[in-house]
Amino acid sequence: MHIETRREDECRVVTLRGSADINASAGLRETLLGAVEGGDTHIVCDLSGIDFICSDALGVLITAYLKARGRGGALYIAGPHDHLTEILETTRLNRLFRVYPDVSAAVASMRE
Amino acid sequence: MPVGPSQTDDLGAWTEKVLPTNLSAVRETEREVLGLLRDLQYDEDHLFAVRLALEEALVNAMKHGNGFDPNLSVYVWYRATPERVEIRVADEGRGFDPGGVPDPTADENLERPCGRGIMLMRCYMDEVTFSREGNEVSMVKHRQP
Repeated sequence: MHIETRREDECRVVTLRGSADINASAGLRETLLGAVEGGDTHIVCDLSGIDFICSDALGVLITAYLKARGRGGALYIAGPHDHLTEILETTRLNRLFRVYPDVSAAVASMRE
Repeated sequence: MPVGPSQTDDLGAWTEKVLPTNLSAVRETEREVLGLLRDLQYDEDHLFAVRLALEEALVNAMKHGNGFDPNLSVYVWYRATPERVEIRVADEGRGFDPGGVPDPTADENLERPCGRGIMLMRCYMDEVTFSREGNEVSMVKHRQP
């Protein structure tokens, strides 16, 4: 999995590409938790380039979300394709995360 | 070594793999199984479902079953026809009670970062059964629902 991060307004946008499988979880954990611990408490996770996600990677998203929330921020999900949307619904994690169709919508929502 | 499935029925031969308890072996196993399904022209929804269930089963076997003990192995058997794919995954651990895993979709468990693997396997495969000891899982996905 390839990971890129950038600043957009007050948000840290983390863009993922490829498969968020068990072998990618450590890198995802390092990036997301590192961002929160580095002071980026408003994070948009762009999943539009992700074709697969496993339960371990979902756990990383949850952990990062909780840490961001604990510091007064949030982690939003942007751009999941149909299979990922289905997983978020099946696990009911769409009740935990706010999910947006793209990064722009997520950043705009955080701005409000 | 766990006893594998019978080779004598008429649904085709099983392919057997013995994996080290090493997460790097997961991706290659998925590649093999999905390659077989692509050859049989399964669609992307089926490929996604089988990959997810297989990944969760393999990770459970290595992590919770074998406790990441490099001296233990994980056993995989799989076979597919144009109508169905069957996968079995066994570990050398002491087993567990799958009924004892809390429902990860319950409101009180939504913030738990783990415990979703078995639920995903059950949601994405048509049949999921565990051995009595809990250290072997059998999964079936039909081409037609």
